[in-house]
Amino acid sequence: MPEATQSAFAAGLLKAAPPPAGVMAWNSPSPHRRYSVYRNNVSASLTDALAARFPASERIVGAEFFQAMAEAFIRVHPPRSPLLLIYGDDFPDFAAAFEPAREIVYLADVMRLEAARTRAYHAADAASLDPQALASIKPDRLGDLVFLSHPALSIVSSSHPAATIWAMNAGERPIAPIPDWRGEDALVVRPRMTVEVVPLPPAGASFFGHLAQGRTLAEATGAAMTDDAAFDLSENLAILLRAGAFTATRKDQDDEDRDRA
Amino acid sequence: MKTTIVTLTLAGSLASALAAIATPATAEEAKEKCYGIAMKGQNDCAAGPGTTCAGTSKIDYQQNAFKLVPKGTCLSMKTPDGHGMLEPGMAPA
Repeated sequence: MPEATQSAFAAGLLKAAPPPAGVMAWNSPSPHRRYSVYRNNVSASLTDALAARFPASERIVGAEFFQAMAEAFIRVHPPRSPLLLIYGDDFPDFAAAFEPAREIVYLADVMRLEAARTRAYHAADAASLDPQALASIKPDRLGDLVFLSHPALSIVSSSHPAATIWAMNAGERPIAPIPDWRGEDALVVRPRMTVEVVPLPPAGASFFGHLAQGRTLAEATGAAMTDDAAFDLSENLAILLRAGAFTATRKDQDDEDRDRA
Repeated sequence: MKTTIVTLTLAGSLASALAAIATPATAEEAKEKCYGIAMKGQNDCAAGPGTTCAGTSKIDYQQNAFKLVPKGTCLSMKTPDGHGMLEPGMAPA
């Protein structure tokens, strides 16, 4: 097949238009039906890939709705990489703007959580920070500590109870009414090779967000306390160590420069 | 003066955080194996995390595939095929 025909053949697969010019069928004067077989295979395999990545979201909206939403997404966002395991990073944002799903206000955040979980699953291996390494640091240097994020780390913030809704639809918790309907933040981590979703206490997302951006422990603590007076530093430090959110610490860059000088 | 207070807060919080994680409340111990509740391909593995049998169940709620769940919650979990079980059931036909 000449290259131009191949390109036209591929480009036509995601369009609702007649088959590209030059495509012929051996058993019919019109290639429409035969070409539709290819169209269907592309659409079905990508829909399956999305359903495999967003199983809780599929369960929330139902298979039929999910398939229709996935097909709409595929037409606008065809894969740009042959790696299907990363396909669908844009799907949560698409769902947030998808008119028929507008009433399910928490759907996009549950999808963001699921996307973060698969990213964590496929992230590079790294040993988490050893709590004893922190214990041996001199108290007057603690404030200057900067943490290096574990490759699997994500922070997912939602103004809805997205983590609870995800857990219920992923089979982690029994499905039940949620009487305390409020925003939830969660860490997605992979300590000891298992992806975990760790709910965060008040201002935890702020604290971990600042640390992940390379701010010092003192700066992140200050910012979290400003965001919410209920911020509990020791609780968050325990989560940090237990969840293996970071791999190592380094002192402030200025300090390192000074040490070298 | 302000620096000293921050330093003391950080040191104290770190000490209590280290104490909190020293208590052996590992995820595995607080969980139980629950059969018949895992969705297709979402089961955990008896040989431990990271091994190849995790995620190999072929059907939803496969009766001989388990998922680790918080202790005491398994029997209360309801699926379209019935409740969670603490012992494995039949392999799928």
